[in-house]
Amino acid sequence: MTETPSVLVIGGGSTGCGIVRDLAMRGLDVTLVEKGNLTHGTTGRMHGLLHSGGRYAVSDQPSARECIEENRVLRRIATHCVEMTGGLFVQRPEDDDEYFEEKLQGCRDCGIPAEVLSGEEAREMEPYLAKDVKRAIRVPDGAIDPFRLCVANAADAIDRGARVETHAEVVDVLVEDGEIVGVEVEHGEKDIGIGNGEPGTREKLYADYVVNATGAWAGQIGDMAGVEVAVRPSKGVMTIMNVRQVDTVVNRCRPKGDADIIVPHETTCILGTTDEEVEDPEDYPEEGWEVDLMIDTLSELVPMLSEARTIRSFWGVRPLYEPPGTGTVDPTDITRDFFLLDHGERDDLPGMASIVGGKLTTYRMMAEKISNHVCEKLGVEAECTTADVPLPGSEDFSVLREWMDEFGIRSPVGRRSAQRLGSRTDDVLGGWDGPNPVVCDCEAVTRAEIHDAIDHSGTDLNAVRIRTRSSMGNCQGAFCCHRMANELIHDHDELVVRDSLDELYQERWKGERHALWGEQLSQAMLKHMLHATTMNRDGDPAASDSNVDFAAFDAGETATAAAGTTGDDPDRAATDGGREGENADS
Amino acid sequence: MSDAENPSNPTPDEQTDFEPVQVFDDETEMDLRPGADNCYKCTSCDTSCPVAEVDDDFPGPKFQGPEQWRLKRKGDEDIDDSIMSCSNCMRCDNACPSSVPLSQMHNTARGEYVDEQMDKLSREYIRNRILSNYRIMAEIGSKVPRLTNFALNNSVVQKVNEKVLGITSERDFPEFAQQTFREWWHERGGARVSSEEKKIAYFHGCYSNYNTPEVAKALVRVFEVFGYEIAVPRQRCSGTPMFANGMLDDAERAAEVNVSEFSDLIDEGYDVIASCTSCSMSLRQEYPELFEFHGTAEVSAHTYEAMEYLRIHEDLEAEIENASVEEQSFAYHAPCHARNQGLEHQAVELFRELDGVNIEDVGDSCSGISGTYGWKDEKYDTSMKIGEEMFDHMEHAEGNVGMTECPTCSMQMEHGTGYDIKHPLQLLEEALV
Repeated sequence: MTETPSVLVIGGGSTGCGIVRDLAMRGLDVTLVEKGNLTHGTTGRMHGLLHSGGRYAVSDQPSARECIEENRVLRRIATHCVEMTGGLFVQRPEDDDEYFEEKLQGCRDCGIPAEVLSGEEAREMEPYLAKDVKRAIRVPDGAIDPFRLCVANAADAIDRGARVETHAEVVDVLVEDGEIVGVEVEHGEKDIGIGNGEPGTREKLYADYVVNATGAWAGQIGDMAGVEVAVRPSKGVMTIMNVRQVDTVVNRCRPKGDADIIVPHETTCILGTTDEEVEDPEDYPEEGWEVDLMIDTLSELVPMLSEARTIRSFWGVRPLYEPPGTGTVDPTDITRDFFLLDHGERDDLPGMASIVGGKLTTYRMMAEKISNHVCEKLGVEAECTTADVPLPGSEDFSVLREWMDEFGIRSPVGRRSAQRLGSRTDDVLGGWDGPNPVVCDCEAVTRAEIHDAIDHSGTDLNAVRIRTRSSMGNCQGAFCCHRMANELIHDHDELVVRDSLDELYQERWKGERHALWGEQLSQAMLKHMLHATTMNRDGDPAASDSNVDFAAFDAGETATAAAGTTGDDPDRAATDGGREGENADS
Repeated sequence: MSDAENPSNPTPDEQTDFEPVQVFDDETEMDLRPGADNCYKCTSCDTSCPVAEVDDDFPGPKFQGPEQWRLKRKGDEDIDDSIMSCSNCMRCDNACPSSVPLSQMHNTARGEYVDEQMDKLSREYIRNRILSNYRIMAEIGSKVPRLTNFALNNSVVQKVNEKVLGITSERDFPEFAQQTFREWWHERGGARVSSEEKKIAYFHGCYSNYNTPEVAKALVRVFEVFGYEIAVPRQRCSGTPMFANGMLDDAERAAEVNVSEFSDLIDEGYDVIASCTSCSMSLRQEYPELFEFHGTAEVSAHTYEAMEYLRIHEDLEAEIENASVEEQSFAYHAPCHARNQGLEHQAVELFRELDGVNIEDVGDSCSGISGTYGWKDEKYDTSMKIGEEMFDHMEHAEGNVGMTECPTCSMQMEHGTGYDIKHPLQLLEEALV
């Protein structure tokens, strides 16, 4: 083979981004297509837990072992995406002692460092735990930002020559002579994102091998190719709290159940979750009782949650899969392991593999195994190096600097920027010329960081959001959506900026509407009023088809000059309350 | 008079012990992240902040409070140094429609900043420590008031203060009285009225003890006219200047003495009365927000400003309507801390009914001095810029005597206009005694 073998990866979640980086590092010609943003599907809708493996230490020990192994890898290669919070499996008085012992033993069997704490010691770590908690197991759980993780993988792949097309939905899988040879994508109508594709057009992309990494959507891609991929999508709700009630991952130590985990995530806490099978990964009910269940049940562990402010809720769909014939009824019993389905071997349709199951913590290991498979199919011999080479932003970060003075930003703002940017802090903030005001107050995101994100993601403000967390704080974009859009206006045309602002605003509303009580209701109302009264967001004339009768307000300068007195002129409304204007006298 | 212990023999550690003592242990460390839940970013606090109005570099109360707290993680220590530019006027508390504990957040942040980030040997720290422990300075200075008054307002000394300590030379130090209020109270033999039902414990604070005993004396005479038995217990600084300078350890030590002394009297049926609105503010709001001594809540619930108390318990309006004084006109300024207690209209409402008196409110702007703030060399200009509106309104008011409840507001009013400044209690004394 003289030409570099080419691979097309479908799906811009953690698995897809991991594969595209892995293959790019091995020197292959790789293209990633994603129908929305990176992380648009399941990856962007998880609770942000970096598993120690503790959660699977009883029910699924192979997964638990993989978790602890990858937990250590990610702490090394993705330092700027990971916060090592530590985790607790907390036992309440009514929880089973036997299970607690099983959990502890399971952790030890799987090589997960585990230490038993008394209730008092656990409360010393986390003062807001319920007073009556009995004891806890401490494990090395952590928090991981899935957005930053995917973006860093994709950015590194692009640096190594990969092509990444977001807002490019696969509409067909191309089959020629009994072999899959590529896909046809439709580029989004609007000119947002970073791809090369012409908006609103279709494009055929050919490759030597196709990887279907679309998770819960794998069945739909399979249908286009004419193969069956029986993914069992299972939804789970997550509720975001406004502040971090806990700084440690808190798990309930009991066999299984809904609402048993609280993950401190950046400035917030995420409460999770439920596990319920659904038919369609994009169309399922999002119900109020699911959110109530999170808050009510987790309040047993952290009572203050019942009074605390939630800022939004979202649902994610797990791409669960089990080999045909297993017949598990309860989705919580389905293995969290992943499966590689080689359609050549399985369905006699070579040229594509589907990847299903799995979880974010082990995304790199999955990517490695799939990349190995792809290389084997294409006859490429190249070693995987993803476990050793840090992601951009996670390179050596030993030199700490005084960010705030140097970059003209306030200390907590500088600290948060540095936590997000990692080793890129100097480049992004230091490379910025000119004033650097805070654009998003809630999450402390400055103009320099916004522009860095725009440089990497084009005009897509949702992509800017996931890179920076701008608009993800407690006002949910009330005070920053338009400021973010404003950063685009010098280099882009007004309609593009409007579209982008609209998409961001709608995306924020989508999750916020699930938290409309208490403070967040006031917040949403304030947001609505501000945007309605200052930006006509309750009916923007520029966005509507009908013309605005401006003359109804004011007949214009000439009319004013001609009119004897304003009160007598039928064309002119008395917008000044009937007061005689200066022009009228002259 | 057993309750009014003579303060002229303080124990050595009371007077000279400047060593910070760690009185907060880790377990009671305040975590105000949940307080950030109430903020919906409306920015009313920022628009009401007098410092933000004149200083574009000051990020405002919303950032200092709920935003900074929300961005904190366990172990994070860096508080932005702009917290030291907050003047602690507490207007943000009043402006907030959503009960965000802004000043509590600011006080706590300032305390943390000073504890963790400020160099204890820096000029700023030493200067702030001295300013916030005014009582100790006053205690010594008032022993030899003439000498102190001469020395402090000697221009050479003022220049040295500015150069060495960063205390502005623009201002004249308030004069120490020849006799402190407590010396006078002692000499007079304490309370002259006794009553079973009407008892007040007077929190005179430092300023009316050392500098303006005429205000304290006016309070005593007015309350005795109404038949109150007055106690003047042992007391320390209310803590206001200490909160404003992040000296929470000093404040806690002072508060412990105050709470203990006054809560004992509350148990005996006394209410606590202050003539300084910052002192009453401190006992009412800041103590329960920051400390957990036995009796803190009782002291908070039983504390009143002097005129407020009389308006509640006596028919002060009727008394005033029947009284008259010599013709005089006042330009009244309501201190921010009075505003926060809902007291900003009481002097004008009352005295406009007093025969002979013309009183005009000079508006709702802040005087700008905010206690020790305007004394700092680097804050002086900000302080005067904030004060400009008030000076202007005072000059346009008919009267050329100022009136206010707050000692430092009165310094600023005098400094900016050259007017004499009176305390409402002094006019009340003139009318009723």
